[in-house]
Amino acid sequence: MQVVKNSFLRDLIWSLRGRFRMKTLKQITSAMILVVAAVCLPATSFAELPVPSHIIPPTGEHVGEDVPQPIEFPHDRHVKDMKINCMYCHTYARRSKVAGIPPTSKCMGCHKIIATDKPRIQKLTEYWEKGESPRWKKVHDVPDYVHFTHEKHIRKFVEKADFPVEDVQQVCALCHGEVREMTVAEKKKPLNMGFCQRCHQANGGPGDCWKCHK
Amino acid sequence: MSLKNVLENFSYFRQDAESGGTHKYEHRFGMAIDLDICTGCNSCSTACYAENNLPVVGKERFEKGQAMHWMRIERYWDEQEFEGDFAEQGAKFMPMLCQQCGAATCEPVCPVAATYHTPDGLNAQVYNRCIGSRFCSNNCPFRVRYFNFWSYYEDSWPEPLNMQLNPDLSVRDKGVMEKCTFCIQRIRVAKDTTQREERPLKDGEFLTACAQACPTNAIVFGDTMDPDSNVSKLWMKHQVQRGPFTHKKEKANEELRGYRVFEELNVDPSIMYLERVRDTEV
Repeated sequence: MQVVKNSFLRDLIWSLRGRFRMKTLKQITSAMILVVAAVCLPATSFAELPVPSHIIPPTGEHVGEDVPQPIEFPHDRHVKDMKINCMYCHTYARRSKVAGIPPTSKCMGCHKIIATDKPRIQKLTEYWEKGESPRWKKVHDVPDYVHFTHEKHIRKFVEKADFPVEDVQQVCALCHGEVREMTVAEKKKPLNMGFCQRCHQANGGPGDCWKCHK
Repeated sequence: MSLKNVLENFSYFRQDAESGGTHKYEHRFGMAIDLDICTGCNSCSTACYAENNLPVVGKERFEKGQAMHWMRIERYWDEQEFEGDFAEQGAKFMPMLCQQCGAATCEPVCPVAATYHTPDGLNAQVYNRCIGSRFCSNNCPFRVRYFNFWSYYEDSWPEPLNMQLNPDLSVRDKGVMEKCTFCIQRIRVAKDTTQREERPLKDGEFLTACAQACPTNAIVFGDTMDPDSNVSKLWMKHQVQRGPFTHKKEKANEELRGYRVFEELNVDPSIMYLERVRDTEV
């Protein structure tokens, strides 16, 4: 068997050599490793969040511009490594229009003790001692003429659907992208009318203009 | 609407607008305005300005007819009374706002479908879709649609005043038609609350800004589809019904004061007015 396999590999290598005009064996093997890596890596290292089975996800990709924040907040550290629920900090998502940015006191609840030697935390502590809050910038901003409520979406897709709240980031990720892979949040989904409408049509959301436009 | 759907439900789709059309209503918000207790104080109009981000256009533009009041107080004098400078008993007042017609004349003329009928029985205006053809305004018998001829927001709310703008409503730009929405932002909030608490909408749970501001409670607002609401009770009391116009009512009973403006045009207005009773007539 070994011999057959080797001969197959050798045949492949030689045919590649002829096709791509590669001269040395080193060149050929490195090219092959690159090909194998390109195929296998995305499947292993970037494991995507599963899409909840009761939702047909909205489609569309977007590359938003960088929104510099006063403190470079690492979402990945909090979500992926520490496994903190989105709604622990963005508390208002389940009961109001906006998801909300946590008050500095919530940050300080942990960071009085945790990681006090890190420069970002020291900056945060400075704000806290001055009695100011960092001026966080809004990343996912829908236009002023759009009425969007987080509450209704959380109710439909999490509370009513009996979806475990621990996995709520799977639902959040449908519109906010994989925030757990980002440091500072970036806009990865278009959040335009087509994006909303495709999801509304697929999941039976309202189609009346005045439900969202104001 | 596929052809198959049209053919299968032909009798449903061929209903004309006057007999209710093909709307499936959840609510039909309506009003009853008692002109007998209306004093013409204009507080409804003022409340509307404050609630709906209406710009104050200034004297010159007002004279050109470019005022943006979604709700206005119309004044009428009887002919025989109109002698001298002012009539003895003063004018008759009539708050005029969008009648939210069931068979609205503004809707079918819009070339881009920016105005349409909502499941709440309102004539909606989608500002983003409006291209400013002004057909709707010209086709409205009540003259209650207002066109933004200028970017009024630029000078209507100078620096500290822009903080008073209502965030639940967009600020309209030049080239867009706008009209009374029956305070859709309040309807939206009330509906969100009922949905959260899983109960039907209660009568009087929310009011439009004009009804809330009226010092004499001349404006009664509510859902006319709910038979227990104050509005429907008033409508029933004065024997005014929805639907097409049948015949001019005989004034058999002095107590029946209800009428709808331009009812004979078959537009099915949602606002019932109660006639004013003058002292001389009593």
